[in-house]
Amino acid sequence: MPLHIDPERNEVRALKRVTNWRDKRVLDIGCGDGRLSLRLARLGALVHGIDPDRKLILKARTGLPNHLAARVRYRVGKAGGLAFRGESFDLVVFSWSF
Amino acid sequence: MVHALHEARRVLKPHSILIDLRPAIAHREVGIVSAGRYTRLGKIHECLDQDRAADQAIARVLREGLFESRSRIRLEVRRVYSTFAEFHDAICESVQAGSLTAYKRMMQRAEIACRESRECKIVTKGPLVLTVLAKRTGYPQRGRGHESGNPPHHREGRPGADPKRG
Repeated sequence: MPLHIDPERNEVRALKRVTNWRDKRVLDIGCGDGRLSLRLARLGALVHGIDPDRKLILKARTGLPNHLAARVRYRVGKAGGLAFRGESFDLVVFSWSF
Repeated sequence: MVHALHEARRVLKPHSILIDLRPAIAHREVGIVSAGRYTRLGKIHECLDQDRAADQAIARVLREGLFESRSRIRLEVRRVYSTFAEFHDAICESVQAGSLTAYKRMMQRAEIACRESRECKIVTKGPLVLTVLAKRTGYPQRGRGHESGNPPHHREGRPGADPKRG
């Protein structure tokens, strides 16, 4: 068994409790290898994941399953200078970042 | 950090929410699971300065009136490593080289514990905090950040109001 983060799914249960994610445009800042982005996409969100680490973005793209490819986009980027137009997201998530 | 929160606010639609999900200010516990039994090895005494700074950044944007606090949930999250090598690599990847010494003792304990037991898995566990902030769209209230000469980057005026005229 590979590394398993949050096998009890407490994180995803808490995320479900705070809002309805279906068809929401979400920016996942500090997405890393895309672990949380995928969980949000499975909840129905349309996710843009950004991370300053090019290698992690490559890993995230490689690990993106086909059935979620239309729901998730990854790009290299920093939280301090977001390359997105104003007021374009329904939700922003800082995931284990800062 | 404060700048990142200002940027997040800029791209958020009015009245939308920002979710900050990260480890709470607490040291993670490490243990092993062998033959279905969990044995605690101890805690990793890592530097928590970054987490404290993140909390301060959140407090500042709340004071500035850019966001309002909606809720805060604390939850327990585990990471399960199937081998010691996996645990070792993850720690080395996530920790800056300078502070790796803080983890050495724990890694030694984990390595010994794994060597002594069969089918051993390493588990780290610690609390996460999920904070929900809602974007405020009115004219931000003056907070300490503003008074100290650091005005918010993305202030929004009231429709039709001229701030110069008061």
